[in-house]
Amino acid sequence: MNATTARPGPVQYAVLAVLAIAFLYPIWWAFSSSLKPAAEIISDPLAFDVAHANLGNYRAMFADVPIGTGFANTALVLVVKGAMTMFFCPLAGYAFAKYTFPGKDLLFGVVLLTLMLPTLVLIIPLLLEMSTLGWVNSYQALILPGSIDAFSIFWMRQSIAAIPNELLDAGRVDGASEFGVFARVVVPVIRPGLAALAVLTTMNVYNDFVWPVIAVNDTSHQTLQVVLSTLAQNVTGNRVGADFATVWGEVLAAGSIAMLPLLVIFVLLQRHFISGILAGSVKG
Amino acid sequence: MSSLTTMTRTGRAARDLPRGRRARWLPPYLFIAPFFVVFAAFGVYPLVFALQLSFTRWHGAGAATWVGVGNYAYLLTSPDFWASLANSAVMWLLIVPLQIIAGLGAAVLLANAKLRLRGFFRVAFIAPFVTPLVAMAQVWIVVFDQDYGLANHLLNLVGLPDVGWLTSTVWSKPTLALLFLWKTTGFAIIILLAGLQAVPDSVYEAAGLDGASRWRQFWSLTVPLVRRSIAFLMVVQTLAVFQMFAEPFVVTKGGPYGSTTTAGLYLYDHITASDLGTGAANSFLLVLLVFGLSLGAVRLLRPRDEVR
Repeated sequence: MNATTARPGPVQYAVLAVLAIAFLYPIWWAFSSSLKPAAEIISDPLAFDVAHANLGNYRAMFADVPIGTGFANTALVLVVKGAMTMFFCPLAGYAFAKYTFPGKDLLFGVVLLTLMLPTLVLIIPLLLEMSTLGWVNSYQALILPGSIDAFSIFWMRQSIAAIPNELLDAGRVDGASEFGVFARVVVPVIRPGLAALAVLTTMNVYNDFVWPVIAVNDTSHQTLQVVLSTLAQNVTGNRVGADFATVWGEVLAAGSIAMLPLLVIFVLLQRHFISGILAGSVKG
Repeated sequence: MSSLTTMTRTGRAARDLPRGRRARWLPPYLFIAPFFVVFAAFGVYPLVFALQLSFTRWHGAGAATWVGVGNYAYLLTSPDFWASLANSAVMWLLIVPLQIIAGLGAAVLLANAKLRLRGFFRVAFIAPFVTPLVAMAQVWIVVFDQDYGLANHLLNLVGLPDVGWLTSTVWSKPTLALLFLWKTTGFAIIILLAGLQAVPDSVYEAAGLDGASRWRQFWSLTVPLVRRSIAFLMVVQTLAVFQMFAEPFVVTKGGPYGSTTTAGLYLYDHITASDLGTGAANSFLLVLLVFGLSLGAVRLLRPRDEVR
């Protein structure tokens, strides 16, 4: 922090280590327990014997729960919704950063205002709108609402505003169309910002739960998170008289497998994650 | 790269110069149009519809009956509505002050330039923020199960009796608050750390020369300087706590005895009860409350000289 700060002592390291354990242990516990024979999750929750590790809980879970469908639906929503965010938000951000046009301030004001709109207020009318359109249990319902979000536009506008106008004009002199300037000049320059946007969008779409659980109730359209949320009921429904251990084994297996993709992305791309998280605090 | 930075300096002046003759009025509208189309269809329309709905009694089919402010009056006199707000307020008290104080403490430790393993600590702290909430909520059910869970297993090991983490009205809120804290404190730490790192070293050096103790430095320098970050966190986390839905929905279903029926979950109850007019009215009341609370938080944390 500064020159006068002392080297951190053992107390400081101990505090940070305790915190790190508190944050990481539940994840480790879920992973390690999911690999244990189901009965041992209850009989000895602390122990983890590598020799006993097996994929029994995973095999049972895949047989009992439509988790494959959940992954497929989440992947589909992620690809389409993500593509819409990644294309339209920087484009709109570019217009707000680099053009002057009548009504610009008013329109940007609307964008900022929607930033403050809590998701909850829209849930009920959106659900009704979906049922009027016949879109309950559809991919459209999962993808379209929120597909071009105000926050991403705001963020991209900030990144694009930093690009010197000369660079854009040089592109125009070379005969590029207005869109061509965006695609060939703006996009390459803001690539790090786009990477952060991609990572954060992936996390948000992948983890989204409130809207999917309300908009979709048939198994064939459920996203991964919705499948997870009904997992325990599903297991007990499919295996009458299943004991706690069996159900828990499958719950932990499903939870672990659902966590894995994002944790891997996070560890590999943490720089982008962190700049994505911080981009949000700029608006405060 | 260096030519790019020199160009930035002259960029501001160039912006006001007249551009070429080609028609430039259309492209920006085309570029922002997709957002406004989606917003009109899935933002404005439902909002207007919800506002209208909030003045009617409607169960999702048949004709809606106009009831004026009846839904609002019903909610404002309903003990369940107030109980849901009270539950959320208790959650807020359990979560936000602790998160900001602990987060600031951890951020100060992490900001120390001589700290080793900073990268590891940062990854460890944010990892929970990345995990899907629903998955961890399931883990919470298992860990805090009264009869077979890990938490009581640990208590028993040190000779303490079982605690009804999710089955007693005393413990249900703290147990859910713990999930929220576990999941989002890393986020708070990162925001506060960025705020701290924006404070110039010279400020601390000057304080050090003045002989201010480290503790005094923390209270009279660090805290005021990260006020903006704290205000941001207060707003974001107040919004999040009052909209808290997935945690009680998955872990406790609002129980035991409604003790974890948060404002967000109570709203959902109107949907399951097909009482949509009341639900819409409830949404607007909640939005007003959350806006008021965020404004209050921002005002409270505004630097003194900016007030009035």
